[in-house]
Amino acid sequence: MLDQLIRDALDSGYAEAAARAQAEQVRRPDWKRRRWGGLWAVALVLAVLGFEVVAVVIEQRQDEPAAAAARSALVERIADATSTYDELHAELSQLRAEVEAIRTSVLEAAGTGQTLVDQLAALGVATGTVAVTGPGVEVVLDDAAEGDVPDDIDQELTRVLDRDLQLTVNGLWAAGAEAVAVNGQRLTSLSAIRSAGDAILVNYRPLTRPYIIEAIGNPSTMSVDFADGEAGRTLRTLQQTYGIRFEVEDVEDLELAAAVVGQLDYVDLEDDS
Amino acid sequence: MIAALGLLVGIVVGVLVQPSVPESLQPYLPIAVVAALDAVFGALRAILDGVFSDRVFVVSFVSNVLVAALIVFLGDQLGVGAQLSTGVIVVLTVRIFANAAAIRRRLFKA
Repeated sequence: MLDQLIRDALDSGYAEAAARAQAEQVRRPDWKRRRWGGLWAVALVLAVLGFEVVAVVIEQRQDEPAAAAARSALVERIADATSTYDELHAELSQLRAEVEAIRTSVLEAAGTGQTLVDQLAALGVATGTVAVTGPGVEVVLDDAAEGDVPDDIDQELTRVLDRDLQLTVNGLWAAGAEAVAVNGQRLTSLSAIRSAGDAILVNYRPLTRPYIIEAIGNPSTMSVDFADGEAGRTLRTLQQTYGIRFEVEDVEDLELAAAVVGQLDYVDLEDDS
Repeated sequence: MIAALGLLVGIVVGVLVQPSVPESLQPYLPIAVVAALDAVFGALRAILDGVFSDRVFVVSFVSNVLVAALIVFLGDQLGVGAQLSTGVIVVLTVRIFANAAAIRRRLFKA
């Protein structure tokens, strides 16, 4: 089929018309005038073609800004939703604090309350629902600086990935961290570090680089254990191979905010506990 | 000469007028342009072969554009518009290339 297509590419009408013209030319005295009319027709047709091409090109050009506009509208909506979330989150934190204060005062008024208050505080520290302070380390991860890495390396890998953050956090837990937060997002038993598109989400909040991981724990051993552990070794390899920037620093006084954990609907206490 | 002028005039008018394609014609115009290009390359080759006929050119141009638009329209109605468009584009492009190759052989003897 392709063969035939290529062989007959020239409209056979041309050959026939040429043959006919040759036969007719002898007995057509006004062929010159007709030829002029034909030329004008050809010019008109080509003018139409030029016009069409310009029209299509203009149309295509116009479509691009439309896509960009749709994109920026989406970005705006995301920003709106994020700020709404932030407001609600702040309100929720405040209400939680109020509830906490009222509960504490009620429990303290009751006779056996004090032990319950202490227990609640300890549980809150462990689950991440209470703000805490203490000494610890701060790990800063950032994408490779532009031009820091040779071009033959996959540029995707010169960015900090969710895996790198998971590795760092796990390394800190392994080094004895008692509370960890990533860019201010306190990690709880319900926290996930994952990527969605190009962004890394922690507690369902998108993070922006640089990634600052704060961990409270034994100040004299944690940074050493972290650096000597698997996480530290892997991060150094990433640093050398992909130019990922990473720093570990001891900090005397860290403040980690409380995480807001949503209502749990399905878990229940075991009866015989 | 007049033909080249016509093409130029068309482009200039297009740039000046900044036409916007009606919504209903949008799917057909790109295909129509490719079909028209096929007719133009056929005409160029015919000129070089010495068998050019303005009547054949005008008729083939118009019918090419109409048939291409019709095929896309039918395809849209049948729900295979994209595939038919691709088919039309492939066939026309093959023809354009074949004619362009013939023109090249004639002009450069290569």
